[in-house]
Amino acid sequence: MKQKSTTKTSYHIPIGPIHPALKEPVHFEFEIDGEKIVDVDVKLGHVHRGVEWASRRRNPVQILYLAERICGICSYCHPAAFTLAVEKIADIQVPERAEYLRVIQGELERICSHILWAGVAAHEIGFDTVLYLTWQIRERALDLTEFLTGNRITKGIMMIGGIRRDITPDMIPRIKKDLEHFKKDFETLRHVFLDDKTVKMRSQGAGVLTKDEAMKLCAVGPTGRASGVKKDVRFSESYFAYGDLDIDLITPDVLTGEVNGDVYDRIIQRLLEVKQAIEIIEQAIDKMPSGDILAESKIPKLLAQLKKASGEDIGRHEAPRGEVIHYVKLDGNESPYTWKVRAPTYNNILPWIPMLKGEQIADIPIVAASTDPCMSCTNRVTIVQGSKRYNLNREELHRLCVQKTRRLSK
Amino acid sequence: MTEKKRLNPEELAKYFKDEFKTSIKDLKIKEKVAGLQKNKANSIWIKVDSNIFKQVVKHLIDLQYPHLAVTSGNDLGKVIELIYHFTLYYEDRIGEIAINISVELPKSKPEIDSICDLIPGALVTEREKMEFLGVKFKGIPDERRLFVPEDIPKDVYPWRRDETGPNKFYKNLHEVKK
Amino acid sequence: MRFAMLPKIFSQMFKKPYTNKFPAKYTPSSTTNFLEKVGSGEAKLFPPIETPKGFRGKIKYDRDSCIGCKLCINVCPSGAIEFIEETKKIKIYLARCTFCSQCNDVCPKNCLSMSDEFLLADTDKYSPDLIVK
Repeated sequence: MKQKSTTKTSYHIPIGPIHPALKEPVHFEFEIDGEKIVDVDVKLGHVHRGVEWASRRRNPVQILYLAERICGICSYCHPAAFTLAVEKIADIQVPERAEYLRVIQGELERICSHILWAGVAAHEIGFDTVLYLTWQIRERALDLTEFLTGNRITKGIMMIGGIRRDITPDMIPRIKKDLEHFKKDFETLRHVFLDDKTVKMRSQGAGVLTKDEAMKLCAVGPTGRASGVKKDVRFSESYFAYGDLDIDLITPDVLTGEVNGDVYDRIIQRLLEVKQAIEIIEQAIDKMPSGDILAESKIPKLLAQLKKASGEDIGRHEAPRGEVIHYVKLDGNESPYTWKVRAPTYNNILPWIPMLKGEQIADIPIVAASTDPCMSCTNRVTIVQGSKRYNLNREELHRLCVQKTRRLSK
Repeated sequence: MTEKKRLNPEELAKYFKDEFKTSIKDLKIKEKVAGLQKNKANSIWIKVDSNIFKQVVKHLIDLQYPHLAVTSGNDLGKVIELIYHFTLYYEDRIGEIAINISVELPKSKPEIDSICDLIPGALVTEREKMEFLGVKFKGIPDERRLFVPEDIPKDVYPWRRDETGPNKFYKNLHEVKK
Repeated sequence: MRFAMLPKIFSQMFKKPYTNKFPAKYTPSSTTNFLEKVGSGEAKLFPPIETPKGFRGKIKYDRDSCIGCKLCINVCPSGAIEFIEETKKIKIYLARCTFCSQCNDVCPKNCLSMSDEFLLADTDKYSPDLIVK
């Protein structure tokens, strides 16, 4: 020891963009005192790709496919918000059958995304068997998506003024059979997650976000709703066909009676939303009217109409992770003048700081994964020039997290 | 705290106009119908001066604590336009009203007050505007770069369309080989 | 209940695994040797799962009905279609194609369609297998 001092200084641990404990590339810097976290700093920008700049040389139909590839798991919500904005500017009225079909596709994507999250959260705790079980459940949802749209992930089904593929009456028996299977699978998942003592011990009381903090930091989606903030775009705005359907605003006190804002509440919130999505699809299939599916089926005419339109507007949609908002400004050229994308994880970055202060290091993976981050959606703006600079390869963090579970279950 | 009455879009427009009179340059109310029952979705677009912007936001918070979605920016030649997207009344069934407040800043002096003391969640979006458009926010607690990589020099603003834009930095990959 | 997963694990021991064993039960140590063995009849190749009816696979181009209107080039999001001036026909580069099938919807003569072929991996971006004329 070089100097004799009796003051304790705190350590800085960087948990870098590539790390087995994190689902997504984000750089954390923790200041720790023993095993407890004292302060957190978040750095972003590792998956910048230049998406908004690429839109300055493409027409709106090409931008639909560019928007789809912003993120793999929420690949339906970005074209959905973009077409909402463009339809408001160009004053295009969408036929009613297309609105109902859009609701069905959106809710199917929500089921796939929440089941994937449940598997990853179980893996972070150390419960690998549930990871394999959720992947098996998800296969059926992805097969149904492939049957309806032609592809499993990048669906390519949204079009300005309607939707590209219809659901014919001979497809409906298969959809109904799959929905019955989903209900049974939901029961299995609920039993495994919510009745298991280990999961409860591990997640109750960890990563608390109070309602006041959630409102001040503008949290969105299941992260905000699990803390008591009642914000859901499907409930409060009338777009697609959500205004006609019977939708409740779900918060964890539907099941347990009180709202704590911890990781256990977020698990409950997402599983209840899966059940709600199944019910919404059933309602939409029963109430769907007949008619055509596109307002303008000849694409060159549509492009000419969009070229003449000018104005600015916003489009909002409830993605599985929260509220997506796009701002578009058209000015009479082929490509838009401005396109601003704001993905839901953008607003959910700041709530990480109060959630992680006071926690132990072994809790970092499960708390960070409980907000369901999607960094591909968050980093997208202009030029790409940087490359990955960090190469931390420690498996310590995941091992620590699994060890804590084993300690608690003795 | 007494329950405040819920205002519809026309009353909201009057609430702002009464307080600020001439500093409001433009106010529009838009609506769009959807679905079989043709329910409406309302939005209000206001344009204000940059020196009374913070008081407009305080006036909005008196009504109900709003939710700031994001701020978007436009480069219009001689001015930079910033648009703040708020929403109110999001707890009522089909009752949400979107309020979009836009401010114009001259390019020679692009400064505006930061609203991070009223709404702490505005930190991420204000940092993004600082690095992409070159706007200075007075009183912001954190001034570091957020998304832009560190190799790009500090006076290059990627969203601008003039000489400080990123024109030197991109390559047309299509034309390399075909 | 402490171990809620146990009954499900027990029942799984008596069921067939859910994974489809395409192309072989265990990964072969050398792919080229494995393909030679399949060709001579020594090893068996498990087929992949059937694709549904509207699947978007490799694109098929009917050269004779094409009129050279260039509408597909306008709508392609990734610039995968090239127009040849002399014959007024197109050439599609599969290395850039995103399989969105937007060109199918736009074509006025319906000369483009999607097949169900998806095993398209290759080592050379511009090999003749990956250019559709």
